[in-house]
Amino acid sequence: MPITHEYQSASPVKAPVEHRFSPYTDNGGTALAVAGEDFCVVAGDTRQSEGYHINSRYQPKVFQLSNGSVLATGGMYADAVTLVKRLEQRLEWYYHQHEKKMSVDALAQMLSVILYHKRFFPYYVWNTLGGIDGNGKGCVFSYDPVGNYEKHHWNCTGSAGHLIQPFLDNQIGFKHMQGIQRRFLTPEEVVRIVKDSFTSATERDIYTGDYVEIFIVTAGGIDVQRVPLKRD
Amino acid sequence: MFLTRSEYDRGVNTFSPEGRLFQVEYAIEAIKLGSTAVGIQTSEGVVLAVEKRVTSSLLEPSSIEKILEIDAHLGCAMSGLTADSRTMIDHARVEAQNHWFTYNEKIKVESVTQAVCDLALRFGEGAEGEESIMSRPFGVALLIAGVDEKGPQLFHADPSGTFMRYDAKAIGSGSEGAQGELQEHYNKSLTLKEAEVLALRVLKQVMEEKLNATNVQLATVTAEKGFRIHNEEETAAVITQLA
Amino acid sequence: MEYNGSAIIAMKGKNCVAIAADRRFGVQALTLSTDFKKVFQMNERVFIGLPGLATDVQTLYERFRFKTNMYKLREEREITPSTFARMVSSTLYEKRFGPYFCEPVIAGLEKDGTPYICTMDLLGCITTPADFVVSGTASNQMYGMAESLWEPDLEPEELFETISQSLLNAVDRDAISGWGAVVHVITPERILTRTLKGRMD
Repeated sequence: MPITHEYQSASPVKAPVEHRFSPYTDNGGTALAVAGEDFCVVAGDTRQSEGYHINSRYQPKVFQLSNGSVLATGGMYADAVTLVKRLEQRLEWYYHQHEKKMSVDALAQMLSVILYHKRFFPYYVWNTLGGIDGNGKGCVFSYDPVGNYEKHHWNCTGSAGHLIQPFLDNQIGFKHMQGIQRRFLTPEEVVRIVKDSFTSATERDIYTGDYVEIFIVTAGGIDVQRVPLKRD
Repeated sequence: MFLTRSEYDRGVNTFSPEGRLFQVEYAIEAIKLGSTAVGIQTSEGVVLAVEKRVTSSLLEPSSIEKILEIDAHLGCAMSGLTADSRTMIDHARVEAQNHWFTYNEKIKVESVTQAVCDLALRFGEGAEGEESIMSRPFGVALLIAGVDEKGPQLFHADPSGTFMRYDAKAIGSGSEGAQGELQEHYNKSLTLKEAEVLALRVLKQVMEEKLNATNVQLATVTAEKGFRIHNEEETAAVITQLA
Repeated sequence: MEYNGSAIIAMKGKNCVAIAADRRFGVQALTLSTDFKKVFQMNERVFIGLPGLATDVQTLYERFRFKTNMYKLREEREITPSTFARMVSSTLYEKRFGPYFCEPVIAGLEKDGTPYICTMDLLGCITTPADFVVSGTASNQMYGMAESLWEPDLEPEELFETISQSLLNAVDRDAISGWGAVVHVITPERILTRTLKGRMD
C-alpha cells in the first residue's frame, strides 16, 4: 500500500509565506530653522504622509519644549513623538535637579547623547533645534538620527530640504551676492523668506504642503503663525 | 529584653525610641577626630585650607592628600576617615564628568554636593533585591568649593547626607574653636588673598603643632583659574603674612 | 547621471530665454577639469544642454550637429527649437533598450520669436513647462531655487541674474557639480554669453 498524505497538493513545492515587518517608515515633511541676532525662527509643514497617502493635513511635527526652545522633527513621526516625550521628561528632571531651566546648548548636547544611546536601533528622526542661547543670541542645531550634530545659522531638513537649503544660503546667508552689506535679517524678513520657501517647496515636493507652522522665538516668548499651503 | 542604647547602636537603619540613628551620630563624631579643615567663600573665589598631621618625621608630607580636585571648577577638602572620601570623591568626579558629557556645561556646585549626599545615604540594607554596597555611614565630612553661574560657593556635606551652604566653615578636631574664629573675622568684603591669610590664621590657632608650609595645604577655586592647590612656596608666602 | 555630475537649467523670459550649465567634469568624486562644455549652440536661436554621462554628452552633440547640418542642407532653413526637440527626442528613443545616459535641456526662440524651453528624460519623453526646466544631479536644488526666484516676463538682464543665482546657489549644495558656470541669454537681437566664477570646492 502506497504511503499517501491527506494534505498532498497539486503544486510540487509548498513555499512558506513570509511576513516581514519593518520597524521604520518615513512620514515625509520639511522643517527649517533660522537663527537671527536675538531671535530664532523654526518652521515645519503639517502634512503627514506615508507613501502616496496623506495621513493628515494637520499633524504638527514642530514642538515647543518647556525650556523655551523649539524642536522641528522629520522622518518617522512615531519616533519623533517618543523622542519629544523623553526630552520633556529629561527637561523636567533637570529643572528639579538643578533648579534651573536647561539652556538650549545643554539641550543640544543632551539630544545628541540620547540619539547616540540608540546607535544600533536609532530613532528615525532628523531633528532641527532652535532657540535663544545663554548670551541671548539665536541658535540652530541640526542632527542626523544617530546624534551627529552641528550648530548653524540656518538649516533645512526633510523631504524638501534639498530644495530649500540653497535658497536659504542665498537669501539668509547672502551667498553669491556682491556689493551688498551682509547683515542679520529682521524677524519679519525671515518669516517672509520662510513662507516663500515653503510655498515653493510645496510646488515640487509631494510630501510638503497643507500648512506651514512658523515659530518665532524671542526673549519675550514664542509667537506661532499658521499659514495655509497648497493642498495638492 | 532591655531596649538599651547599645541595641540601637547596631542597626544602621533602626531608629532609637527617641528618634535617633546612633550610627549616623557616631559617624559625625568620627569627624571630630579628624584634622581641621577650613573653607572660606569670598566674592573672588573660595579658599580651602587643611591641617596635615605629620605624625612622624619619616612620613612624607606630600602623600597626605586632604584637598582634592573634583573638576576644573570644583575642589574638596575633607576631615574624618579620609579613606571613606575616596568613594565620595570618585562619585563626585563621575557625576561632574557625566554632567559635562550630557549637557556640555559645568555642573553646579550644589548639584555635585547633592550627588555626593545621595551617595552618603546609601548605607544599610539595599532596597528590594538590591545588594547593599555599604554597611555603615561614611565617617568623613566634606567641604565642597566651586565656582559656577551663581558665583563662588562653599558647601558642607556630612555623613547624614545633609548639606548646607556656608560663607565660612570649619570641620574636624579644631572645628569648634575655628568656627568661632571664622565667625569673628569673616566679612562679606573679604578678598581672596585676605581669605587665604584668615584660613591659615584660624588653622594656626587650633593646630597643636607649629604651622608651616608642609603641615598645611591651601587651595583656591576662582572663576579665572578654576581649582588650584598651592605649592609649598605659595603656601609659605601666605604664612609670612600671618604675623 | 551621478557618474560625472552636472547641473543645467533653462528659463523663459520676456521675448528671451536663458540656458546655463556648470563646468565640472569629474569621475564620481574626483574632479578632472573645470572647463567642460555641456551647453552647445545648434544655430543662432537654438541651444541644447546635455547633462549626464560625459561620453554620451559628446557623442550626442556630434550626432545632433550632424543632424542639424543635414536638416539645414536639405530644408534650406534653420531648425526651430521645437522641431529640434522632436529630433533629439527621436534620436534618444532610437536607443529605447540601450539608452544614452543623458536628460537634455533645450532652449531657444521660435521663428516668430516666442521663447521655447523643454527637457526630456533619457528615452526622449518631452516636457515643455511655461517657466523653467532643470536637469542634472543638482536638479532638486535648482527646482527649489528657480521655484522661488523665477517670475514671468523677466527682461534679459533680469533673466540672467535669476538663472545665475538659481544655478550657483544650487550647485554649492551638490558635491558633484559646479566649479564655475556658463550662461547664455538668447534674445532676437543677440546672444549674451557669460562665464561665471563659482566656488571651486
